[in-house]
Order: sequence, then structure tokens, then C-alpha cells
Amino acid sequence: MLLVGSLGAHAAGKTHAVRIENFKFVPERLEVAKGDTIVWTNMDILPHSVTAEQAKIESGVLQTGKSFKLVARKPGEIDYICRLHPVMKGVVVVK
Amino acid sequence: MKALQLAAGLAAASAFAIASAQDKGPSDPQIAGIVVAANKIDVDAGKIAKSHSKNKEVQQFAQQMITDHTAVNKQAAALAKKLNVKPAESDTSKALKTGAKQNEANLKKLKGAEFDKAYVDHEVDYHQQVLDAIDKVLIPNAKNAELKGLIEKVRPAIEAHLDHAKHLQASLK
Repeated sequence: MLLVGSLGAHAAGKTHAVRIENFKFVPERLEVAKGDTIVWTNMDILPHSVTAEQAKIESGVLQTGKSFKLVARKPGEIDYICRLHPVMKGVVVVK
Repeated sequence: MKALQLAAGLAAASAFAIASAQDKGPSDPQIAGIVVAANKIDVDAGKIAKSHSKNKEVQQFAQQMITDHTAVNKQAAALAKKLNVKPAESDTSKALKTGAKQNEANLKKLKGAEFDKAYVDHEVDYHQQVLDAIDKVLIPNAKNAELKGLIEKVRPAIEAHLDHAKHLQASLK
């Protein structure tokens, strides 16, 4: 597993925001350093998810205004989708 | 069957064409009525697909149409209430409903792969027509900023549904 789904209180590194807006992940490609935190926030009027089956990442259904946080633990490239709308795609590159 | 399906598609296309051909565009209550009708039609088609299709991907798509279009209509209803706009019938909403009835009648006669193809083909056409209507009729004519804002927020959903339907259409060939 490249990313771990909970943010510890002692987490170090930068925080990166990804907006889920107009049925797109913005930015679609995000480069982060190991230890950085990524926060996805759903700005749309319909629910979305952040799902990467291979990396075992699943935000659950994110309603409007809700966020999902992850800490990047291991270098690698993670392709993810919205499970509800699989045409929505994004990638996180952990350096 | 093909002719019926085509007729249903044409009815939907002409429904939106009526709206764009009108000298005076639809009023806000009529726009609200078109939005509500257009969403409900796709929820109903999704319910038919859920009960008729055996294809897992078609079923998942149909469920997503039910979920998303139901959610949009809830928000449209809440906004209409807040703005005190009563969704009104128009030639467009009536023609949409007629087209939907034809599509439903056609779908209910089909089974298996034939059903899946007809449903998904129609979903591609329908979402394309809705997208065109949003751009050419609904957004340009909506007078209330919040109503216009809601339609603008819905547009990317229709676009994503269209992409999803097109992927599905290609996978069924």
C-alpha cells in the first residue's frame, strides 16, 4: 500500500489540496513528496469518491463539501478514479 | 424496433428543437419544468434497465443515472421552492415525455444484448441532446441567477454521463 488513509496528529510535510469540481479532479496530476498530505474536497453538487483499487484506497462516498485526507507514505504512482463516475481520473505521484 | 427507437430519439431531439425554435425562449418556470422532466425521464429509463439488463456494467451505469438524476431533481425542487418558481409544462417538456414513452415502449420489448444496446445507444443520444439543450436553450434563457447556476453545475454531470455511456457503447460492440 502506497498511501495510508489516516492522518496522524504528528504528520509532517506539506498539504496539497485537490478540488473535485465539475466532474474533474483538479489538478488531475499531483506530485507530492513522501510524508505530504493530500486533501480531496468535493465541490460538486453530486457525490464522488476517491478510489484506487490497486493501492487499496477508498474514500467512501464524499457528499458535497466533504473531504478525504491521505498521507503519502511510499514513492510511486497512484492512478485513481471516482468509483461513482469512472470517467473521472486522477494520478498522484509520490516522489 | 429500430424505427421505434429512432422515433423516440427523434422525438427527444425535436423536443429540444421546439425550445430553441421558439421566438421567445422558455420562461424560468418552463425551464424548471424541462429540467425536472429531463431528469425524471432518465431515472425511469434507468429503472427499466436495472430490471431488464443482465449486464453488470449496464446495471451499474443505470444505477448511477438513477442516483445522480434523482439527486439533481431533489436540488431542482428545493431551489424552485426557495425561489417560489412552480415548474411549468411547455411544448418541450411535453415532447420530452412523449419521446420517453416511445423509448420505454421500445425497451420493454427487448431482451439481453439487444436491450443493452438499445438502452445505451439511447442514453448516448439523450445525454447529447440534453447537453445541447443546456448550452443552446436552458442556460441562455434562464433569468434567475440561481436557476442558471444550478444548470451550470449540472452540465459537467451530463457530460460525464455522456462519456460513460459512450465508453459503455464501445464496450458492447
